[in-house]
Amino acid sequence: MNASNASQSWVVVADDPAVTGLVEVARTVADEVVAVVVGARPVADTVAAGVDRVVWLGEPGAVPLEAFAPQVAELVAAARPVAVVGAATPAGRALLGAVAARTQAPVLGGVRTVSVADGRVVVTHAVMGGIAERTVALEGGPAVLAVEAGAVPAGGATAPVAEVAGAPLDAATVTQVRPKVRAGVDLGAASVVVGVGRGLKAEADLGLIRGLAAAVHGEVACSRPLAEGVEWLPKESYIGISGQHVAPDLYVAVAISGQLQHMVGVRDAKVIVAVNNDKNAPVFGQCDYGVVGDLYQVVPALTAALGGSDD
Amino acid sequence: MKIVVAYKWAPNPQDLEVRADGTVDEARGKPAVSEYDPVAFELARRLADETGGEVVGLTVGAAAIDTPLARKAALSRGLDRLVLVADDALAGADSTRLAAVLAAAVRAIGGVDLVLAGDSSVDVAEGQVPLTAAAQLGWLGLGRVTAVTPAAEGLSVERDTPAGVAVLAVRTPVVLAATADAVVPRVAGMKDILAAAKKPVEVLALAALDVPAPAVTLATLGTAKPSGGDRRAVLFDGSDPASAASQLVGALRSAGVL
Ligand SMILES: Cc1cc2nc3c(=O)[nH]c(=O)nc-3n(C[C@H](O)[C@H](O)[C@H](O)COP(=O)(O)OP(=O)(O)OC[C@H]3O[C@@H](n4cnc5c(N)ncnc54)[C@H](O)[C@@H]3O)c2cc1C
Repeated sequence: MNASNASQSWVVVADDPAVTGLVEVARTVADEVVAVVVGARPVADTVAAGVDRVVWLGEPGAVPLEAFAPQVAELVAAARPVAVVGAATPAGRALLGAVAARTQAPVLGGVRTVSVADGRVVVTHAVMGGIAERTVALEGGPAVLAVEAGAVPAGGATAPVAEVAGAPLDAATVTQVRPKVRAGVDLGAASVVVGVGRGLKAEADLGLIRGLAAAVHGEVACSRPLAEGVEWLPKESYIGISGQHVAPDLYVAVAISGQLQHMVGVRDAKVIVAVNNDKNAPVFGQCDYGVVGDLYQVVPALTAALGGSDD
Repeated sequence: MKIVVAYKWAPNPQDLEVRADGTVDEARGKPAVSEYDPVAFELARRLADETGGEVVGLTVGAAAIDTPLARKAALSRGLDRLVLVADDALAGADSTRLAAVLAAAVRAIGGVDLVLAGDSSVDVAEGQVPLTAAAQLGWLGLGRVTAVTPAAEGLSVERDTPAGVAVLAVRTPVVLAATADAVVPRVAGMKDILAAAKKPVEVLALAALDVPAPAVTLATLGTAKPSGGDRRAVLFDGSDPASAASQLVGALRSAGVL
């Protein structure tokens, strides 16, 4: 690739108007932020409140978003932006993957900080599942970054939306969508989160965990196997490298062993409490306070000590 | 139907040592077939059995990914044969480079209808490689696949999307990445392990593949051990739950988080 356009960065949007996280990173490296939006028109209009210009690829109809990825990559490559930022979600990564393939640039995830020094984009990001951090300076092409999506931009100044006719791959048609019952989980805003893991014996026992969460005015979350595997809680409730990253004042891990992939999601919690009946569980090496004991005795006792009651 | 399962031979980073300067000592790592990849093997086997097809395992990486143990671990999970690209030029390769090599190997294998992958790898856990590989091939790439079945024209695919479960009619060739719980993979038995020794393995030379050169160079300015891992646990004995609970609540009140 030739010299990039240092004054411009692009955000690639896959039908999700929650882009403040993307735009924030894009603005750190360039003055002008252009969004290319795959998805319905209202998404493009909402994104327009947060950026300087929107390129919208038209109504996708029954075509899956991923089919637009090559076209997104062409548009981005033609503009030669200094950075391309997308959401670290499966749909976001499909767009970023196409940009990466088109530009032969790596996709950097686990992004902590981004800056510009001596005309180069400098990125500090987590590597190897979060066990280490690395700071790199990029040269020769765009910084392609997968970041946490953030929130929906608030209304206000609205950038122009230009429609470009969509040219998706002719490879798939969505024939049916069976809607999910929305759980309305908002872990990000909670100051206390109670996470439960595979040590819980039965779905009905979630009542104990809900009772504890109510007593600490917190939200219920879980480890991945409880949301993907047994599906006792919605997928939006699991914490970790592939799930939610939270930074509450207090995180209580109940019957969670403390595997790396879970714990990176609560690394920024102020205080971590663990309840586990195995005194050698790795979680005890990663918490501030721990109770070594059976959740079925400790949780009700804790709820009572907090002045609450079991469901 | 010719199905390639792209899988990774990698260690769980939890077992690796991070030095104080943030560099990673991989010596203690025990590489294995990455945790979620057996889901892709299982989906591929079922689909191949239904369509009378072939399942080819494919992995790319540093020279150390090609050991007798590594070959057997993959071949005992329902593959018909295995293709490897094992070259130290790929040590520490980023997702774009790995995807480019996978795509080149898929082209070299030839006539592939479907590339299946797992949710994400145990060491990087990003789920980026299959989606980038799809783009390198010029094919459609779909993640979060929960079911694949043969259909009149190609495949019927179910996906877990933010809006709900989407059902798609998909034409091949295509790249699909499964969710962690799409199917429960079978456990390799003694018979499978013995049969693995007789299955064909082909090693492709990296130099013989048509792989685009990386365009971006990364200069490492520094490494660090992340903060947040240095918590000092104060433990309470839960054999007297009421006493442990009141001590804990007291401690949390003094810490100002309740
Ligand atoms: C690529 C990849 C990505 C992943 N991403 C995530 C992620 O984002 N989030 C995530 O959570 N996981 C993730 N995982 C899975 C992760 O590695 C662990 O397998 C998972 O976190 C373990 O969940 P757990 O602690 O609930 O279960 P387990 O590890 O089975 O632990 C259960 C714990 O409960 C304790 N226990 C049992 N009974 C009791 C009792 N009566 N009272 C008290 N304690 C009890 C046990 O001692 C044990 O420590 C990922 C894995 C991979 C490979």
